[in-house]
Amino acid sequence: MPEPAQSVAEQRVSREFNFRGDPDSLAASRQAVMDFIAPYCSSDIEEVDILIAVQEALANAILHGCQNDSAKTIHCSVVIDPAAFTITIRDCGPGFDVDAATRASESGTNTTAHGRGIAMMRSLMDEVTYRNGGSEVELRKLRAV
Amino acid sequence: MDVGTQLPWGKAMLRIDIHDAGQQATLHCAGRIVLGVEIEILRCMAEARSEACLILDLSGVDAIDAAGLGLLVELHCRACSRNRTLRLTKVPPCVLRVIELVNLRSVLEIEANEDDWHDDEAQSPCGRFMTA
Repeated sequence: MPEPAQSVAEQRVSREFNFRGDPDSLAASRQAVMDFIAPYCSSDIEEVDILIAVQEALANAILHGCQNDSAKTIHCSVVIDPAAFTITIRDCGPGFDVDAATRASESGTNTTAHGRGIAMMRSLMDEVTYRNGGSEVELRKLRAV
Repeated sequence: MDVGTQLPWGKAMLRIDIHDAGQQATLHCAGRIVLGVEIEILRCMAEARSEACLILDLSGVDAIDAAGLGLLVELHCRACSRNRTLRLTKVPPCVLRVIELVNLRSVLEIEANEDDWHDDEAQSPCGRFMTA
């Protein structure tokens, strides 16, 4: 794992990204975010947890927010400070019923092929907050002491 | 065997080696089972098999997302409907943890006993591989 350019024990670092809203860009988008975050992770487990949560949030933004439309844009901001990793992903879609989707995603054993993304994000991150009717999600992972 | 194509940042997306053994086939997966071409190629390769028992060796998998878990459930249900078996083996802790997070441990058939692992298949002359 490469060393971060500067220690975040003393300061805050951040970066903004804009991605196309189509599935073909998902892997590169996810990797761009993780290339920035990974040097600050304290373990492989922490890195994979964030990777999966970012993957789910970007996938939801592409599939549901942008309807797989490459002309639409997803905005992502990453802030890393001594307390936490904070990743905010915003799409241009109309949002969704967050409460209903959360209940469906967390309602016991799901034996269908879909509907696990929100539950996974909530399990892997310390805080998952939806805003703007669901078109923006903030993922927050407290940093290991 | 050649490790196959790597992405510029050094991590393979998903590489699948196939080993046939009569009525059983093993797909050795390495990389990430995530939304996109990775799960599509795994779906295609799994659905193309006609053996009574299909084994997914996940020892080389370093991440799986909701779409990947959805594919495992889909393949499991399809195997059951055809009176076939889909078995996961050598599931690494990072993947097992996610499977447990979404309560799929009791749904998927997961081989827990390391003694049941068939490492000798890795040397099989009938092996082939594909990389997504």
